[in-house]
Amino acid sequence: MLASIPASNSVEPTRSGFWRRFARNRAAVIGLVLVLIVVAMALLAPYLSANGPWDMVQRPYLWPGDAPGFLLGTDTLGRDLFSGLLYGARVSLLIGLVATATAVLIGTAVGAVAGYFGGWTDTILMRLTEIIQTMPPMILAIVIVAVFTPTVTTVMLAIATISWPAIARLVRGETLRLRNTEFVQSCLALGMNDGRIILTQILPNCLAPVVVTASVMVSSAILIEAGLAFLGLSDPDMMSWGLMIATGREALRTAWYIVTIPGLAILFTVLGLNLLGDGLNDALNPRLKER
Amino acid sequence: MMRLVQNICARSALVALILGLWSVAYAHSAQAEPQHGGTLTFAANPEPPMLTSALSTAGPIQWISGKIFDGLVSYDFDLDPVPELATSWVVSEDGKTITFTLRDGVTWHDGEPFTSADVAYSVMNIWKEIHSRGRNTYANVESVDTPDDLTVVLNLSAPAPYIMNALASIESQILPEHLYAGTDPQTNPANNAPVGTGPFKFGEWERGNFLILERNENYWDQPKPYLDRIIYRFIPDGVARSAALEAGEADMSVLSTVPLPEIQRLGELDHLDLETRGYDYHSITAYLAFNLEKEVLADVRVRQAIAHALDLNIITNVVWLGFGTPATGPFHHNLDKFQTDDVTIYPFDLEKAEELLDEASYPRDENGVRFSLSHSYLPFGQQFVSLADYVRQALSKIGIEVETVNQDYGTYVTRVFTDRDFDITTFFANNQSDPTIGVERFYWSGNFKPGVPFSNGAAYQSDEMDAILERTRTEIDTDARRQAFVEMQQLAMKDLPYVPLVWVDMVTVYNTRVKDHTTGALGAYSNMADTYIEE
Amino acid sequence: MQSRTLRYVGKRLLQGLLTIVAIAGINFLLLNALPGDVVDVLAGEADVADIAYLEELRARFGLDQPLHQQLLSYLGNLAQADLGYSFRYNEPVLDLVLGRLPATLLLMVSAIILAAFFGIVLGVTAARFANRLPDTLISVLSLLAYATPVFWIGLMLIVAFSIKLTWLPSGGFSTVGANLSGLSYVADVARHMILPTVTLALFYMALYTRIIRASMLEVLQLDFVRAARARGMTRRGVAYAHALPNAILPMITMVGIQVGHILGAAVLVETVFSWPGMGRLAVEAVFQRDFNTLLGVLLLSSVLVILTNLIVDLVYARLDPRIELG
Repeated sequence: MLASIPASNSVEPTRSGFWRRFARNRAAVIGLVLVLIVVAMALLAPYLSANGPWDMVQRPYLWPGDAPGFLLGTDTLGRDLFSGLLYGARVSLLIGLVATATAVLIGTAVGAVAGYFGGWTDTILMRLTEIIQTMPPMILAIVIVAVFTPTVTTVMLAIATISWPAIARLVRGETLRLRNTEFVQSCLALGMNDGRIILTQILPNCLAPVVVTASVMVSSAILIEAGLAFLGLSDPDMMSWGLMIATGREALRTAWYIVTIPGLAILFTVLGLNLLGDGLNDALNPRLKER
Repeated sequence: MMRLVQNICARSALVALILGLWSVAYAHSAQAEPQHGGTLTFAANPEPPMLTSALSTAGPIQWISGKIFDGLVSYDFDLDPVPELATSWVVSEDGKTITFTLRDGVTWHDGEPFTSADVAYSVMNIWKEIHSRGRNTYANVESVDTPDDLTVVLNLSAPAPYIMNALASIESQILPEHLYAGTDPQTNPANNAPVGTGPFKFGEWERGNFLILERNENYWDQPKPYLDRIIYRFIPDGVARSAALEAGEADMSVLSTVPLPEIQRLGELDHLDLETRGYDYHSITAYLAFNLEKEVLADVRVRQAIAHALDLNIITNVVWLGFGTPATGPFHHNLDKFQTDDVTIYPFDLEKAEELLDEASYPRDENGVRFSLSHSYLPFGQQFVSLADYVRQALSKIGIEVETVNQDYGTYVTRVFTDRDFDITTFFANNQSDPTIGVERFYWSGNFKPGVPFSNGAAYQSDEMDAILERTRTEIDTDARRQAFVEMQQLAMKDLPYVPLVWVDMVTVYNTRVKDHTTGALGAYSNMADTYIEE
Repeated sequence: MQSRTLRYVGKRLLQGLLTIVAIAGINFLLLNALPGDVVDVLAGEADVADIAYLEELRARFGLDQPLHQQLLSYLGNLAQADLGYSFRYNEPVLDLVLGRLPATLLLMVSAIILAAFFGIVLGVTAARFANRLPDTLISVLSLLAYATPVFWIGLMLIVAFSIKLTWLPSGGFSTVGANLSGLSYVADVARHMILPTVTLALFYMALYTRIIRASMLEVLQLDFVRAARARGMTRRGVAYAHALPNAILPMITMVGIQVGHILGAAVLVETVFSWPGMGRLAVEAVFQRDFNTLLGVLLLSSVLVILTNLIVDLVYARLDPRIELG
């Protein structure tokens, strides 16, 4: 959401300039590190923890540090919260990434086609975008997940459905601007077909703002997943952070660590993704950074 | 007292201690003089759709309308009837007529006198016609005679011994004929603002927020009621309900509507206590049902194997946090007039379970999986989510892969009872005050009705079972009827279409200033005329 | 000029109307893809054991009609401002939804005001001290507020302020049965509003802080601001008197874009604080298969979004004369 603050005209930065600018931004580096930690947790889950996330291995309600080998304690059913956290990273990241990728795919296609062709194509596509954006996203997501029963797939689908309009608008705006630039006009004059122009001239130039928006969208997808889980709409066979919060929610007051641990995981991931997004934004838009 | 002792043995020491303290407190308060005045506030969830149990027996409706209406009788802790609107009753030798003498001088909240005509109208036009369970319970009622204003005679085509167990206000509610006769009962405006005879009158209902009942100044049982008003605050979030109780913003919650981990914690606070009695009229049992239409599950050895793989102690103590007793049969032990322990039991035994599955020739494949099952659980609180997690883990140990389906209530009911798109399902159900009303529905082949929620979802069909059940319906000799039910439980546990999991103890959380809230089988679902607040 | 604005408003309203009809149609079909209907839920809760009775109920509710007929009659009723009847609540949907609207509006508007106020103060402060300690602190704070799940903040606030400190009620709209009137009623509602409003506002406050900071940084570079500074105005004076009115535009746009988003977030807040608003009604309606009510909530919130966007655009045009309505 933060990145829907319009990214200003991007000047294609050189690769080395990008890294230099990025590395100079302390917050961005912290963000990158946070994100890398979460990715590592997800990838290395089976190696870092001896237990599966579902195995009832110990006494329930074991506080962090109460028993050796259970660093973060156990949940209401005696499952290892540490391994829940690791495997949860997989599911939460998966949901965030796939939902965002889907949203980016749909949004980019819709935005580019609408912006490039204009006319009634634009009108219809933008009306559709508007219709989706007129409905409260959380309520729409709830309805979609409830209609198709809560599984990881339907949660991703719901998040993608409410997310793509933002990308579509962004890409449409960029496309409108690019369509009138000299190089696109000259491509047209050379008789290059529309598809190729969109793919080779327009989309690469939309990349920067889309990447920035997407990195933040992953974080809001993770938050939405948690919200849906809070309302009881999550996949019962996949241990996500949202599901962990939902499981521990009723024990919030007696054993607040059960909810706090995945809550903090969400917090740091969202934080990391946003810092990363900001960093990318600055690094990709050098003019902004100069201020 | 017997039940109290039983419960203490079954539950964790902590709760036992609280109950112990409670009984001391109770003994003390029994001597204390009830005080007039004060407001009792419930932390409530969910909000009822309307307020007349005669038309829908949903729990929240019963709980609220039970204060506005009286029943013909109420029930003590042994589930024996005690007079309410009926002062006496006689069941004939052949069991085919039941005669009630009504209380004199009772008026409806609008001042009209309460008479036998109201009862006759309710039996014939409401209970028998549109009450969800009443259509079965009162099916044998052929006519109702009202020789005078205070006498009601039910004429039955065949004996129906369970009727005398179904007359509480929350189950068989008497509606005022003068407001209902000649109208469509379903759309009668009085459904949302009922006129009853009970100790509390409908006051104000702000949907999504609260509902207020006011004291009925003209109640027949003076000086009762003691409370000035009862407030139901609708609080959708469980932890928030707990917070309201803890902060003293609410005085009571019923039916374990506060999350169980919270209940344990609240019970330790000075100003709050726990009560598990008063649910005898509901007697809630958790079951696992098999879909017998699926080939794998049609084999009784597979069902037995699954029963052996489930550790009911874990389900009771970890999933239900000790608020319950591992079930040995389909009848909740509250129904001790009918319940027996003399049945086949399936102790936790993984080796035995594996043997049975091998015998049924479902060997493990290269991944160690024998077959997989789809599990739909009743979406009713965190316990079922935890139960589903446990079932998946437990069955994976014997090579059965479980895919859990999370869905909302409407989808659940449709998937399981209409589309029958499930292999196993876990749910709980009221056993009611009589097995014919509360348990028969799951085992009688005539009640295999796709489309009907909480019918015979297993699709269990046994001529032997049907014959026994039909006997229990008309047997008027108490001992013979019990004997028939004993046979029924034995057969149920032999054929095992359902694995009874837990006899659940529902919990009332109450502020210690609230006295005499649980004085019979209906607990806080009673009319609460006796309840008072000690300042 | 006046007639031009009117024409613009008319055009926007017409578009909005079309959007509403489309939303009604899409959602009607989407919801009917849900397995089960309100009769299933009612019957399940009430232990109904009789198929004939279920069919009776379906016929009564018109659920036995073919889908396209149900849709047509729904749209027909809609044209007459009839949102249908809630079989769940035994009340016309319009009454039901309008009854919940004030609570939601109250919550949303106060949250937006709170978020905007602190967003502006923090954003301007951060911009004035860009890349120094106050800026860093504010950035960290707003990032944390942004990254924490909203329901979690709500639960934590209840633990802190209702239970530990017992300063504020843990939920509800007003003290039930207190029979307050006039000012004391207002004060009572205000007390109940504090926690839900703060919970809902925090996320948006974080957002507005960031927007204001970014646009302030941009505006502070502009010539007229530099000129004002050169004329000897204090830094703070320049920031609030000259730079802010210009920097505030992106935030107003954001408020407009996000009305729907706030309504959605309100679902969670209303659930945590048992706030009797529309969001909660919507969630309950999904779970209870009360489609008419759910459609009603969706339509009404869409109307809200469309109207807010229109108002925001008009305000925008007033604030920034460079923008033309068209």
